[in-house]
Amino acid sequence: MTASRILAEAGYFDGKYSQAIPMYGTERRGAPLTAYLRFDDIRVRERELVHEPDIVIVLDPLISRRQSVADGLKKGGLLILNYPQPPQEVTVAGDFNVTTVDATKIALETLGRPITNTSILGAFSKVVGMPKLESIEKAILHSFPGKIGEMNVAAVRKSYEMVPPPIPAKKLDKPVKEEVSLQVGGFGVLKSVAEWRVFTPHINLDKCTGCRSCWLFCPETAINLVNNKPEIEYDKCKGCGICVNECPVKAIEFKRESA
Amino acid sequence: MHSEVMVGNKACAIAVKLARVQVASAYPVTPQTTITEYLSEMVANGEMKCEFVNAEGELSTQVIVQAASRVGARTFVCTSGPGQLYMHHPMHDTASRRAPVVMATVHRGNKGMQPDHTDLMSQMWTGWMQWYVENNQEILDTCLMAYRVAEDKRVRLPVAFGYDGYVLSYTAEPVEIPEQEEVDAFLPPYVPMPNILPDKADPASFGRGFGEELDPQVPWRMQHEALVKAKDVIKEVNEEYGKRFGRKYGDGLVEEYRCDGAEAVLVAMGSIAGTARASVDRLWDAGHRVGLVKLKCFIPFPNEDFQRIGGQVGAMGMVDRNVLMGMGGAGFTYLRNALYDFEDRPKILQFHAGLGGKEVKVTELVKAGEKTLRAAKGEKVASMVEWV
Repeated sequence: MTASRILAEAGYFDGKYSQAIPMYGTERRGAPLTAYLRFDDIRVRERELVHEPDIVIVLDPLISRRQSVADGLKKGGLLILNYPQPPQEVTVAGDFNVTTVDATKIALETLGRPITNTSILGAFSKVVGMPKLESIEKAILHSFPGKIGEMNVAAVRKSYEMVPPPIPAKKLDKPVKEEVSLQVGGFGVLKSVAEWRVFTPHINLDKCTGCRSCWLFCPETAINLVNNKPEIEYDKCKGCGICVNECPVKAIEFKRESA
Repeated sequence: MHSEVMVGNKACAIAVKLARVQVASAYPVTPQTTITEYLSEMVANGEMKCEFVNAEGELSTQVIVQAASRVGARTFVCTSGPGQLYMHHPMHDTASRRAPVVMATVHRGNKGMQPDHTDLMSQMWTGWMQWYVENNQEILDTCLMAYRVAEDKRVRLPVAFGYDGYVLSYTAEPVEIPEQEEVDAFLPPYVPMPNILPDKADPASFGRGFGEELDPQVPWRMQHEALVKAKDVIKEVNEEYGKRFGRKYGDGLVEEYRCDGAEAVLVAMGSIAGTARASVDRLWDAGHRVGLVKLKCFIPFPNEDFQRIGGQVGAMGMVDRNVLMGMGGAGFTYLRNALYDFEDRPKILQFHAGLGGKEVKVTELVKAGEKTLRAAKGEKVASMVEWV
């Protein structure tokens, strides 16, 4: 959402009319959501969502492996993924170009937090050719003045430098139909929230004293008690880290999800 | 004048600041919440001199602004969906006591979180003016115009302007912000009615019956007639706003888009009107002569405008983001009422769209336009009522 608003403002600085539409329900910050963006030479009037985009940006490295991120993407369009591997290794296939940048790594290095909203924008500016890098920086500093803004600007510059030129995506052999759509509109419709996680809690049962603190504090009731010991139901776990924080004997380890 | 890319709720909060509102009260409810946040922030950091009253619910917020307005303050209140329903009772009194309160309703339907017009439509009988707004720029402009109309000596009635939650409230787009001096010149300080404070020597009543010696229908009639007459003031204020700021919205009541030479028109309200403009462009490109009438001022209903437009077209397709249960769309019902006495009246088709927050697509309104055009040409259409 922040990314779409910053892009909208940066595009406006470049002389384009813009419109940024977020779609989300009662979710936590950082949860997957869909945002839509239009640039035009006239004031944008239509309010429907963008169903056939020219460009798709995916901020979540785990979702970046799902074929459905390219649903509706126009022929010859562009897919920009937050992905640790180079574009040659992208599995999402179709008649479009693709590039990747490890925005999570950049964010962790620059901001110290896995917030990929801004770091991917440098890559966008470089491969799309608009909005100008300066405009994106100006828009970021407008939303986040001071040190936080400057750190985000550093992340943007890094991804601008790092992103490789787009290459044609792999050919799609046969159409893939995924059961769960990634369109998160209104209330979240994902059956599992596992893909929200950046970090995953792992319980060391040898250290666990069975005090039930994690079970009590988990806001998603993702922890069950089995023989008086906690067991995490990972489909329900959003990776908020509250259990890690609450455990009095530090028996829960928080590890980054491998992409 | 400067401009910025901003969400609808920020455009609203900035307008409230520019209007130099003195007392505001609100209870946060999605999707209105961020107006409350922007206002609290501006009051807290001294950007805005205003008494911002946090209340425990919408019933109280409405009573607070009503009372403040009656003793002479310029007031603002805002809400959404269920909050709108909760403040229903004092809304009657606000209008009845002729308090020129301005309210923003950030639409949220009554069957969930997503937007439709059923929240504000439910307040149809409270005696408030109801305006439906298309985009973020219009939110800012409309809020400023609302104070001029509400406080006009010939009107003295509250205004509610509504805009679709999420679709506008959280969508960011460019908005031009006028300078404070320009707004001050357009909107002078509020001068309350004389005798507003209790005075034993010269007793006055506001909204309630006068006593047994007078006709108890009189307050109802006065209020209704003032509301009908407000149409002229709305037009006047819209013209003046256009001269000062370079933007106006049709005649203030309705806005016509590509209606010249049209054989049929779609009629739409709120953000759907924006989408309908794109549909109408596609219809003309395909050689179909279909225009758009944006119905902005729903109460008081612009009968005269529709009678004029009705004389030029063969059919009108009313797109309603609401339904009066057991009756039909509110716009449809009012539109047919406006044209009943008119001999050469067009056919009127009903389209329900966007209820429960359902997405309204350009292609769907193109189809609605084509169907309305077929009806205008005298072709038989399968059904005059359609849920898009």
